[in-house]
Amino acid sequence: MVKEKDNKKEQEIISAPPTGMQVVWREFIKDRVAMFSLIIMVLAISGVFIASLFFDPAEVMKVSLRSKYAPPSSLHWLGADIGGSDVFGQLIIGAKNSLLIAIAITLITGTVGIFIGLACGYFGGWIDNMFMRIIDFFITLPSLMIIIVFITIVPKYTVFTFILIVSLFGWTSIARLVRSKALSESRRDYVNASKTLGTNDFVIIFKEVMPNISSILIVEATLSFAGNIGIETGLTFLGFGLPPSTPSLGTLVAYANNPLVMSTYWWVWLPAALFILILMLSINYVGQALRRAADAKQRLG
Amino acid sequence: MKTSEELLVIKDLHTGFRIKDTYFDAVDGVSLTLRKNEILAIVGESGCGKSTLATSIIGLHDHNKTRVQGEILFKNKNLAKLGEDEFNDVRGIDIGMIFQDPLSALNPLMRIGEQIEEGLIYHTKLTKEQRVNRVFELLTQVGIPNPQRVARQFPHQLSGGMRQRVIIAIAISCKPQIIIADEPTTALDVTIQAQILDLLKDLQAETGSGIILITHDLGVVAEVADRVAVMYAGQIIEEAPVEELFNNPKHPYTRSLFNSIPQMNSDGKKLNVIEGIVPSLLKLPRQGCRFSPRISWIPESAHEKDPVLHEVAPNHFVRCTCYKEFYFKGEEGGRA
Repeated sequence: MVKEKDNKKEQEIISAPPTGMQVVWREFIKDRVAMFSLIIMVLAISGVFIASLFFDPAEVMKVSLRSKYAPPSSLHWLGADIGGSDVFGQLIIGAKNSLLIAIAITLITGTVGIFIGLACGYFGGWIDNMFMRIIDFFITLPSLMIIIVFITIVPKYTVFTFILIVSLFGWTSIARLVRSKALSESRRDYVNASKTLGTNDFVIIFKEVMPNISSILIVEATLSFAGNIGIETGLTFLGFGLPPSTPSLGTLVAYANNPLVMSTYWWVWLPAALFILILMLSINYVGQALRRAADAKQRLG
Repeated sequence: MKTSEELLVIKDLHTGFRIKDTYFDAVDGVSLTLRKNEILAIVGESGCGKSTLATSIIGLHDHNKTRVQGEILFKNKNLAKLGEDEFNDVRGIDIGMIFQDPLSALNPLMRIGEQIEEGLIYHTKLTKEQRVNRVFELLTQVGIPNPQRVARQFPHQLSGGMRQRVIIAIAISCKPQIIIADEPTTALDVTIQAQILDLLKDLQAETGSGIILITHDLGVVAEVADRVAVMYAGQIIEEAPVEELFNNPKHPYTRSLFNSIPQMNSDGKKLNVIEGIVPSLLKLPRQGCRFSPRISWIPESAHEKDPVLHEVAPNHFVRCTCYKEFYFKGEEGGRA
């Protein structure tokens, strides 16, 4: 009797197709690098946010000339910078700032891109034409130069304006990708079937078309998140990012502009550089595993 | 006895596709009437405009590239002139549609129950609980056992026949007066086809709605239809009650179609085919009898200059006079 029950259960397990989460989980189990990256990514991001609770930005940024370029010690775990501020504290707070900025940019560009892409793909016609020409225009612009010029001429820019100006150029690629997927999905019969029921366009777009391209949206968001961390730190490194009073991963790496710091006081910039490297690599690996999971032809597991 | 109350009247409908700034009519002057309690079959080969006719009726055509002219009268409204918002009040509640491919017509990410519920949400004031009960009721009505379980399943977990039943359940969810079935059995195998056709017939008998059945399968037509309209190159070339059409086909195209059905006892004889192909929309001769290039052995004089529908028997209409002189190739003199 018990055995029969077990058999039934087993059969059910075999016959039930794997759910979305199971597919993703299998992909990570098959790919050790992706699994390792996932663990690193979760640890790094949660670690930064939890640790940042114990640091007071004002305290960390306090100038104390006595400990100028202090080497790593029990007081300063990763030493101190030119102003005697604790590097480890700056690393935590800077990483938190960088991550928050990257998340904000990803959310803004993602939302705008998804909205415009879905509208273009679903409606087609003049809406599609108009937005595609606008996107073409944005893509031809040298975005990095314009961001730099903007930051130079605006006298008092804040984190918020920085997020906006970077987002202004970031939404185009997502909009294009979403448009191409929405275009093919919107011509499917189930969309027509929904129309014959009298469902309005708005509901069809968000309840039917969007869920069917969600796998691509998740992958794209993950990969562009890694890219956005790179953009923020890169611009800050060049001196066009956040104001120097706000620590970020980029400001720490930017200390390496000074040859003396670069060669002698490695503890100031090296941890931040390594952190960026590891974080971006792991996010990328995770993103690629998600991409494979989203496409049955590329799956490993 | 069948009532003759008219549900849907189509008058001189033209549906054109835009190709390089010119509109080419894929449906070219179709007039039809659908009555209550009736299954009207529209038959024709691929590309003759039957699906275009269906999408024009329910307003699914691509508004950027398509032009619909003429009248589609339903409840004193001209559907051809309705805007998208007004159309949403007609679709679903008054006109339902059954699609050809049951897999692609279901959203792969929505549970069956939710998909059937969709129309009920927009067109009825039922509460959530009532809607769920109605979903079970509908699933039972289309012959799905264990509706409680199926309602929670996803489309890929069902077989083709089950999916088509679900599609039918969706189409009838709001008790529409007109159901348009665009090749509902093409994607199914023969045994399931018969079941689905029976189901359609039963539902129609129950609800008294009118069904427009679009198909290229004459077997399906003989099985369920009350009246048949044969389409060729965007026009209706013959229209008759089903027994009349099968017993006494007139138009050369209809007769050629019947002639090319494979026979069980034809003992290795070659299958009869109709010469040539359906002309492309761009090269379609807009004047004269459109079938004339494919029966080139019939003299030019047999055709009308501007073919119209002639009533040859009660309710039996045939376009062009060429049927009078038509004979199959190689049967010289064997005139009808």
